[in-house]
Amino acid sequence: MMTFRITLLSGLFTLSVLSAACSSAQTPPKAPPAPDAVVGMTNTLRFEPDTVRVPVGGTVEWRNTSLLVHTVTGDPARATLEGSARLPEGAEPFDSGNLEPEAVFRHTFTVPGVYGYFCIPHEGAKMKGVVIVSPKQ
Amino acid sequence: MAKQLQKLKALAPARGYVIAHKDVKNPPKLFGGPISVTVTQSSGGVFVALPDRRRLDTYVFGTPSMPRAFAGTPGINGVPPPAREAEDDHYTRMKKPSPFGDKYLVMADGRMELHAVDATAVDGATTEDQVRFKASWKDKQGNTYEVRCCGMLASHGMEFPTFGGVVTNHILHGVTRLGTALMPTEFAYVAFWGMGEVRKNGKVLDKPRLIHGMLTEYVRGEGYKLAFDDEVTPTRMQFHLMIPPFMPDPPNLSFTEKPVKTGFTLPNGMELPFWHVMFENLETKAERGQ
Repeated sequence: MMTFRITLLSGLFTLSVLSAACSSAQTPPKAPPAPDAVVGMTNTLRFEPDTVRVPVGGTVEWRNTSLLVHTVTGDPARATLEGSARLPEGAEPFDSGNLEPEAVFRHTFTVPGVYGYFCIPHEGAKMKGVVIVSPKQ
Repeated sequence: MAKQLQKLKALAPARGYVIAHKDVKNPPKLFGGPISVTVTQSSGGVFVALPDRRRLDTYVFGTPSMPRAFAGTPGINGVPPPAREAEDDHYTRMKKPSPFGDKYLVMADGRMELHAVDATAVDGATTEDQVRFKASWKDKQGNTYEVRCCGMLASHGMEFPTFGGVVTNHILHGVTRLGTALMPTEFAYVAFWGMGEVRKNGKVLDKPRLIHGMLTEYVRGEGYKLAFDDEVTPTRMQFHLMIPPFMPDPPNLSFTEKPVKTGFTLPNGMELPFWHVMFENLETKAERGQ
């Protein structure tokens, strides 16, 4: 299970530095693999789409497209309301920490099942989403 | 109409309490000693409330046959029944817009810093409470709106107590009649009332203005709808900044209507006549002692 947390700006900076470094070494930069699903975080306190499906081993990327600070928190221990978060048996909790506007967070799901996650500051406003991870066929 | 308004103001429910306290020279200190509080937001946006017709909660406003929360200056304290819409025997919503409702905008780059000391327990002629407060946010055009407080603290209230200007760990609004009944009944970890100033791009637009801030339990629901009493989320927090379109009227222990010069133009071309701004990316700290 892997988790990445970057901002678009720092990501671009990193890519440009890598690009410069790699061009001198004649090694092409390795682009991160495309996520299996992309979820936006909005000013209307929604994850859009609120439900995504990925295969086991798949990665979801969350993009903070709002002006607000949000979190992506799949951790029942950090939830204060019933139904904000749930994990399949054997899955590890995940938490992005505070995501500033334009920040991006990625998480790879290695255990199949239904994950419920939420945004900590907007839990009261019911900002929550679901990731359904399908088992291997 | 003017006579009716005077009667409503005179019936403000805490008027007698304020009269008993407002001239006390050395009001009692907070039981157990002062509490110092710091609340900050260092990044992220804010929610700016737009004028809206507040839905009316039966827990707070009663029913047309048994109304509650009607006295005091309309809007900043109670809501007179003629200002309410009703269906059958329940109230539905306000007839006119107010700063309290479900409509909002998100603005960028919200910053806020509150340092408060709650030392004085009750209203009086003097206070040992302290507040240093500043907040700012930006609109789409890049204009910066800023509020600073407090040149003077409200050592006593007008139609409801202000506890020396700062109160901690107290229930406010809604059924309490401490502040407007249009906000739900909510636990406030800290709240203050004082006189401050409103700025745009560094220029003072309005001064002095009544500034009220409070850190409370979370009172918004899905779609950011302003909660009824039974919808409040006790386990999350938000900070509210309110600059009402009213000014204190100390000789009459009341309020008079006066729009705030916010410098922010609504889509209909009118200037937003109040600031009601919510900060939700918060860090908090509180301790006994100054």
